[in-house]
Amino acid sequence: MSAATAHEAAATAAPMAAPQAAAAWPFLQMVNVSRRFGSLKAVDDVSFDMAAGELRAVIGPNGAGKTTFFNLISGLLPPSQGRVIFDGEDITRRSIAHRVAKGIVRTFQITEILPDLSVFENIRVGVETARGINARPWIGRGERIAVNRRIEELIAIVNLTDKARRIVGELAHGDQRVVEVAVALSVGPRLLLLDEPTAGMGDSETEHMVDLVRRLHSDQGVSVLFIEHDMDIVFGIAQRITVLDRGRVLADGPPEQISADPQVRAAYLGEAE
Amino acid sequence: MQLLLFNAFNGLIQGVFYALMALGLALILSLNSVINMAHGGFLVIGAYLAYTLSPYLGFWGALIVGPLLAGVIGLAVERGLIRPIYKRSDPLYSLLLTFGLALIIEDLTRTIWGAQGLPLEVPDVINSPVSETYFFITGYRLFVIGITAAAAIGLYLLLRYTLLGIRIRAGTSDLETTAALGVNIYKLRALNFGFGCLFAGLAGVLAAGVLGLTPPMGNSLIMPSFVAIIIGGVGSLFGAVLGGLLIGLAAGIVTTYYPAASEAVIYLMMLIVLAVRPRGLLGEEGLFE
Amino acid sequence: MTRAATIAAMWIALIALPWWLPLIGGYTALGSKVLIYAIATMGLNLVLGFTGGLSFGQAAYFGLGGYGAGMTLKYLVPSTPLAILIGTLVGGLAATILGPLVMRRRGIYFAMITIAIGQLFYFVIVRWNEVTGGEDGLAGFGRQDIHLGNVVIPLTDVNFYYLVLLCFTVAVAVMWTLLQSPLGHTWVAIRENRRRLQFLGVRPERYVWASFAIAGFITAFAGTLNALLFNFTSPQDLHWILSGDFVIMIVLGGMRSFFGPLIGVIIFVVAQDYLSSLTDNWMTFIGLIFVLIVLLFPRGVFGIFDRRAKIA
Repeated sequence: MSAATAHEAAATAAPMAAPQAAAAWPFLQMVNVSRRFGSLKAVDDVSFDMAAGELRAVIGPNGAGKTTFFNLISGLLPPSQGRVIFDGEDITRRSIAHRVAKGIVRTFQITEILPDLSVFENIRVGVETARGINARPWIGRGERIAVNRRIEELIAIVNLTDKARRIVGELAHGDQRVVEVAVALSVGPRLLLLDEPTAGMGDSETEHMVDLVRRLHSDQGVSVLFIEHDMDIVFGIAQRITVLDRGRVLADGPPEQISADPQVRAAYLGEAE
Repeated sequence: MQLLLFNAFNGLIQGVFYALMALGLALILSLNSVINMAHGGFLVIGAYLAYTLSPYLGFWGALIVGPLLAGVIGLAVERGLIRPIYKRSDPLYSLLLTFGLALIIEDLTRTIWGAQGLPLEVPDVINSPVSETYFFITGYRLFVIGITAAAAIGLYLLLRYTLLGIRIRAGTSDLETTAALGVNIYKLRALNFGFGCLFAGLAGVLAAGVLGLTPPMGNSLIMPSFVAIIIGGVGSLFGAVLGGLLIGLAAGIVTTYYPAASEAVIYLMMLIVLAVRPRGLLGEEGLFE
Repeated sequence: MTRAATIAAMWIALIALPWWLPLIGGYTALGSKVLIYAIATMGLNLVLGFTGGLSFGQAAYFGLGGYGAGMTLKYLVPSTPLAILIGTLVGGLAATILGPLVMRRRGIYFAMITIAIGQLFYFVIVRWNEVTGGEDGLAGFGRQDIHLGNVVIPLTDVNFYYLVLLCFTVAVAVMWTLLQSPLGHTWVAIRENRRRLQFLGVRPERYVWASFAIAGFITAFAGTLNALLFNFTSPQDLHWILSGDFVIMIVLGGMRSFFGPLIGVIIFVVAQDYLSSLTDNWMTFIGLIFVLIVLLFPRGVFGIFDRRAKIA
């Protein structure tokens, strides 16, 4: 798409954006973070702030380091340099489990689900984990009822009630990605990282996902950081956009500012033609 | 002291067989992603075919033809039985299939050649002791060490400098990309499997000259070969050789002082290595998990 | 038939087994052996089919259970319940202690390490002759009558079968409860997608360890019964060949199904019993069964009925 339509999208998006949460300190902060693979600098001296309650997009051409950036936040990779701070705690060297316990939960570019299990069973694992009971070798009736109620609730939030008993591996691609979001949601995220949530989706699937992300942000109060290639979506829902290019932050700001930024237009939006 | 040397040298020879077995197993493990439980079977095939052919071809001819036939049979088994199950990502199936083959080969060997042990005649030229004091160091045993060293170096040169070897190494590190570059990975994997079995056959013929032939000989050598790979480090061929020699030597030394523990010691060594250095002595990080 | 009706019918058939099995040419001890192997394989299947860990050395814990029970009777105390208890503890604790060495491995490496560890116990038993009887196996013990207050139950073949059936029922109840529990759900999730679970904040290793340890206890439990059945146990009960047999029985029945291993055991044990009476080359036929199952029948008996049991 062209920069012009992107600009229009941004303009229409503005009234819909949720009011900025008044965060006193940065919710997620990255300080001069780099990650090298051999001689390649996938992420190069990136500093980044995100406030609680934000709905933020990360964009950039292929190879810009977006997924590496996510891996550094979620703990899949340690940074070569720099610090990652979440909610006042330096989590640079903390485990994935610790980060999840603090509320950082992610999805993947290639859907990570439990393919041979039903939608219900996929979400159950998350709910039981969130309740801290997943090492228990038995389950009482009361607990089971509570777990099941929560699962049904989550399934209702993502609009999959009619498919609750279906095997996830047999669902359409779009539904599988929705299941992945629901599973992520089940462990009670405060910061949800979505890696290309609409990748490979058809129009109606995309619409469903975009609507879901928006509702998670506004109704569930989850801060969302998402990587996305579709500029209609990015400028449609993001309150703020961070542009990565060759591992560096090229620009960072509200949609109007990004679409007007000549550097971004030259390096990125122009290329998307 | 003499006894210690005697046992240590015997252990080293045993270790040479483990190393040869482990080398073939490791080749197949890394490119074919198959734990070849039938590897001992190919050892037995090589050994018994050499035994049967040696009256016609002589020892030297049998030493070459036996392993080659084991390799060819391995190639056929790969094409007929293993290739159809590569697409199943669960390694369980290739494990069970080769397990079944191991049972079949041992049983048929017993039926064809009998359960009792058979000797493989080694030419006198190389079978006499090298010195009076160290009577256990026969020419044949030195010959075994020499052949194994030559085979290992040959394999190294093949992997390092020939197109086939380079392709095998490429396939090991990333099969999909290798296929995308236009290499016929089916052919590559078949050849590699054949190579692995050839090494097993070679171990068989050499071992037969020292230990004689019995149908279960292969299946009793395969477990220590696993241990050799685990100790040496999965993904490292040199590690497999090193692991084999180490456990052979350790078993030999322990025999001197506490014979009952000579087998258990190699498994204990494995546990220690796993606890202290999970990836093995020379293994690549991450590959093991 | 509903699931409940099928299971009820199964139990009625098992309770009546001492009456009908001889009529079709079997013998009660064969029924005991089937149930004992069913306990062992269903226990192993907690790791193999439900947690996705390729445990290929399970016979070690089976055999340790057997030796634990036999040696208790022979050297310590003439009590059948204590023999079962001690044997179960010996095998189960061995698996628990070694669990941390295997819990991080995956796929073929999990298989290799579990096989090799199994061989350690094999050689300890074989070489520790003065106590274990070495290659010849451990004999010279016998299961003891059970004393319940003033009642004495003699363990005849038929009574022993009912003891085994009781143990089978208890083991099934325990395993069923486990698989319905959050722990069981976590195991299945590990099999399905380890990474997904890690990013839900779960550390899969600990759960694999739990699975391996619990499977060890259950297999050892079966091993104690096996030693009591024959009043004998041998190194063959720890050998990797038996480990492989356990795995093929599970695959034959259907590794994704709870009762699959039972079906596999029935087919395999009966086939083995029959083939070994028929031909000296029965090992070749067992080998062929392995090859044919893998090539033609990888989803097992239960897999035919279950869409979900795909061979991923």
